[in-house]
Amino acid sequence: MNRTAYCFDLDGTLTTVEILPCIAAELGISEEIATLTRITMEGLLTFEESLRLRVAILGQVPLQTVHGIINDIQVDPRLSAFIQSRPDQCFVVTGNLDIWVNQLIERIGCGGHTSLATAKNGVISLRHILDKGEAVKSIRNRGFDRVIAIGDGSNDVPMFRAADTAIAFGGTHSPMPAAIAESNFVVHDGDALCKLLNTL
Amino acid sequence: MLELGGQTLLSRLIGTLEEHVDRIHVVVGYREELIINLCSKLHRRVVIVRNPDYRTTNTVQSMALGAQGLEGKTLFLDGDLIIAPDSMREFIGKAGTTGILAAIAPSLSENPVNVDLDQGETSQGEKLIKSFTREPGRKFEWANVVAGPARMLDNATGYVYEKLEESIPLNAAVLDLREIDTAADLEIAREFVKSIDSSR
Repeated sequence: MNRTAYCFDLDGTLTTVEILPCIAAELGISEEIATLTRITMEGLLTFEESLRLRVAILGQVPLQTVHGIINDIQVDPRLSAFIQSRPDQCFVVTGNLDIWVNQLIERIGCGGHTSLATAKNGVISLRHILDKGEAVKSIRNRGFDRVIAIGDGSNDVPMFRAADTAIAFGGTHSPMPAAIAESNFVVHDGDALCKLLNTL
Repeated sequence: MLELGGQTLLSRLIGTLEEHVDRIHVVVGYREELIINLCSKLHRRVVIVRNPDYRTTNTVQSMALGAQGLEGKTLFLDGDLIIAPDSMREFIGKAGTTGILAAIAPSLSENPVNVDLDQGETSQGEKLIKSFTREPGRKFEWANVVAGPARMLDNATGYVYEKLEESIPLNAAVLDLREIDTAADLEIAREFVKSIDSSR
């Protein structure tokens, strides 16, 4: 049987807004974090450097508050329906922290690969930053013949390279040039993306 | 990205097609960022298919690439065409009931691939192509538009019409269009666009 795995980036791909700027709003530093996110997505800062910086800043927001914020974040309904129609074949692959987004991934209803962190006495410590390329390899090793990856940023490039088919998705904002350069398809609409995924 | 009558050729072509088909794939190669940007603003439901090997591949390979993820009857066409909307509607209607339907147009262009037709028409009012020829003096030329199964151009090399020669005798219908290859074509196309737009 030909089994295909679908690997979705989370922020700005499955979600209709970027998550970290929403958390930043709690601290009143949305614009600063948005700038950091933008220069990271453009590849001017490595994802690892940027994530450490963003976690150091946003880790000040109590975990419960973060969960409340993330709970209000919308997931593209069309992509959500696609995932729920084949949850065993779909995976969220995000550099975001498990302690922040696990509940959201649970709500989406499929498996997830995230960066790992711990929270102790209100201090967040990063334990492992996800390599999206390695995540795709481990998903493939679960018996999938083919992997289709969907994302929008520079940190999706390793995922795109490890996948068989890469789709740069600009549902929330335009995909970054680095992601486009590694993609087979560029799509800007959730319906169009689902139609493509259903027939690829 | 050439504009005629205040619209790019691509936007005009998409506008002509979108009321008849539920999926449009646009294959991009040279200066892909221009087309991606245009589609992100004006044609968000279009799927962009990247052909990074555009320098070493030809039209038939781009068309086959563009048909990835499509099923059933598929319309393959060049991007440098202006097609009268009524004529397009009629052609798509006929294509729906014909296995493979090639488009032909009065032989006008500078270095056409002409067609030799069988005498008479099919019961559906279509013409039958007996052969393609570079010889001048024919009434009709191959119009670089064909409808057929999505996989019909897979693994083809050479020119599109050479692949179609395998299906001769081939059903054909006349399409009212202009192709822009030269400066002279552009002047003819301008007048054609005026006549289309004034009849709306």
